[in-house]
Amino acid sequence: MNQFTFEGKTKTLILGGIGIGVLCMILTFVMGGELAQARFWSNFLHNSLFFFGIAFMATFATSVWISAWSGWFVMSKRVFEAISAFMGIGGLLMLVIAIGNFADFHHLYHWNDAEAVATDPVLQGKSPFLNKTVYLLVTVSFVGLWWWMNKKLRDYSIDEDNNGSFGDFSQIFSSRKWAAGFLAFSGYSSAIAIWLWLMSVDAHWYSTLYAWYVGASWWVTMIAFVILIVIYLKSKGGLPHLNEDVIHDLGKFLFGFSIFWTYLWFSQYMLIWYGNVGEETSYFWTRAHGYKFLFRLILVLNFPIPFLVLMKNSNKRKYGTLIFTSIVVIIGHWLDFFLMVKPGVRQTAEHLLHAAGGHEAAGHEAAHEVAEHAADIPFALGFSLPGLLEIGTFIGFLSLFLFIVFTALTKANLEPTHDPFIEEAKHHHV
Amino acid sequence: MKTKKNVLYGLYDDEQDLLKAVKASNERGLKIMDVYSPFPIHGLDPLLGLKESRLHIAGFIFGLTGSLTAFLFMSWIYKIDWPNVFGGKPYWPVPAFIPITFELTVLFSGVGMVITYFIINGLSMKTETEVLHDRISDDKFCLAYDVTGTAGEHAGTLESFLKETGASFVSTKEMSDL
Repeated sequence: MNQFTFEGKTKTLILGGIGIGVLCMILTFVMGGELAQARFWSNFLHNSLFFFGIAFMATFATSVWISAWSGWFVMSKRVFEAISAFMGIGGLLMLVIAIGNFADFHHLYHWNDAEAVATDPVLQGKSPFLNKTVYLLVTVSFVGLWWWMNKKLRDYSIDEDNNGSFGDFSQIFSSRKWAAGFLAFSGYSSAIAIWLWLMSVDAHWYSTLYAWYVGASWWVTMIAFVILIVIYLKSKGGLPHLNEDVIHDLGKFLFGFSIFWTYLWFSQYMLIWYGNVGEETSYFWTRAHGYKFLFRLILVLNFPIPFLVLMKNSNKRKYGTLIFTSIVVIIGHWLDFFLMVKPGVRQTAEHLLHAAGGHEAAGHEAAHEVAEHAADIPFALGFSLPGLLEIGTFIGFLSLFLFIVFTALTKANLEPTHDPFIEEAKHHHV
Repeated sequence: MKTKKNVLYGLYDDEQDLLKAVKASNERGLKIMDVYSPFPIHGLDPLLGLKESRLHIAGFIFGLTGSLTAFLFMSWIYKIDWPNVFGGKPYWPVPAFIPITFELTVLFSGVGMVITYFIINGLSMKTETEVLHDRISDDKFCLAYDVTGTAGEHAGTLESFLKETGASFVSTKEMSDL
C-alpha cells in the first residue's frame, strides 16, 4: 500500500471531533459571564497558534534536512509534508485573530486598548511595534510567505515522484534553494511573529529567550505528531520500508528536544528569578502563585516523563513507550501554551472590566497591582485550569488538524518513488 | 597460567567484504573467535551475537551519584552549615543549584564511565597486548578463528573459506590467551 485512503470510520470520527469543537466554541461564546468573550478568543488564539506552529515547524524540519542532504528522513517525508499542509488553514485562523484585532472584535491584547496606552508610558514606548497595523501586516506577509515557500517545497517533492528518475538530483537541487531561503527567512521572522502573537499578550513583559522557547515547544510537539502518524500508518500497512532505525531517530529527536525545551524553560526562569527585576518577575510571579498546579504539572509532563521513559535506548524503538511519551508531550505542550496565553488575556479582560466599573487604575500600575496580589487570583474555569469547553475546543482543532493532514497524505505516494536518497533511507542504520 | 592459542586469520580490504564473510561463516556454522577492525562497523554486532553494552547503566548510576553529591552538598552548606543571604534569595535557593548539579552529573558520569571501561577491559598504562597483525589498526579488517588443537583438515577448510570470501591475506599466529 503506497497510497493512503482516508475514509470510513476514521473520517467519521474526525468529522465528529470537528463537530464537538464547533459546538464547544459556540457554547463558550454564548454562555455569558464576565470573562466569556475573553475565554472564547483566548481559546481561539491558543489552539490556532499551537497547531499553526506545529505545521510551521514541519516545514522548518523538512528544510533543515533537505539543506543537510539528509537521507534518513526521506521515508517519512510525506508525513512532514502532510503536517505542514495545515499551514494554509492555520494561517487563515491567525488571520481571523489579526483582523479581529484590527477591527476591535476582541480584547486579547492590552496594547490594543487606546485608553490604556494613553496613560501608560511603557505601552507608548512599545507602540511603534505593538499596534494594529504592524500586527496585521506581519501576520499577512509572514504567513503568506511561509505558506508560499512551503508550497514550493511540496511541489518539487511531488514533481520528483511524477517526473523524476533514478539518480536525478534536479528537484533536490531546486528545493534546496527554497529550503535554505526558508531557513534564513523564517528563522528571524518567526521570532517577530511570536513576539506579536504570543509574547505581547503580556504587554508589559518581554524576554529575549521567549521566541526560542516557544519554537522548542512547537518542535517537540511536531515530532510527537510525526511519531504518532508514522506508527498509525504502519499499523495500516503503510510505509513498509520505514525501518525501526528511523523510528529510533525520531525517538531521539523527541528525547533530545524535550531536554532542549527544559533547558530554555529553566534558562528563562533562572535569569529572571536571579535578576529579580520587578517588570520581569511579574510574569513568573503570576504563574507560580496564581496558577500553581499547571505551572508544576507542565514541568513534570514535559521533562521527567520523556527524559526517564526515553532514556533507555530500546525504549526509543518500542511503539508502546513512543506512543505514551508522544501523547504526554502533546498534552504537556498544549498546557504550556495554555499557560502562556491565559493569564495575560485574563489580566487584560479584568482590567477592562474594572475600568468600565469605575475603578481607575492606570495601565502598568494595574499590572503591578495584579502582580502583587497574584496569590489572591481567584479560580476561574477556563483560565486557571482548562474546563470541559477548553478540552472540547482542543478536540475540535485537533480533528481539523488531523483532517487536513490525512487529506494531504492521500494526495501523494506515502513512500516517495524517485527521491535520490530513497535507498539510503531504506537501509538506514544507527 | 597462560595458555597458547593457535589463531587462523584473514585480512579483508573492505568492511563490506568482511560483513559478507561473517554472514557466510554464520551460515556454515563456523565458530568465529573475533573480528578486528580499525573502526566500528555498522551491523556487525548482531551478526556476532554481541549483547548490548551495559556501560550506560554504570553511566546512569554515576550520573545519579553526581546529581545527589552536588545537590545535597550545596544544600548542606547553604541551609545547615553556613546559612547566608545572597542577593536577597532564600537560604535554600534551589534554582541556583541546578546548573552545578547538572555539571557534576555530567562530570561524574563521564569520568566514571571512562574508568569503568578501563577496569572492565583490563587496560592500564602497563598493559601490553599482542596484536594479530599490525594493519588491523590501520586499514585492514580481520576475521579470526581459534584453531588450537584441531586437526589440520579443519584449519584447511577455514583457510579455503577465508580465501573464497575475498581475504587478501591469510595466516596463522600463536598467541598467548587473549
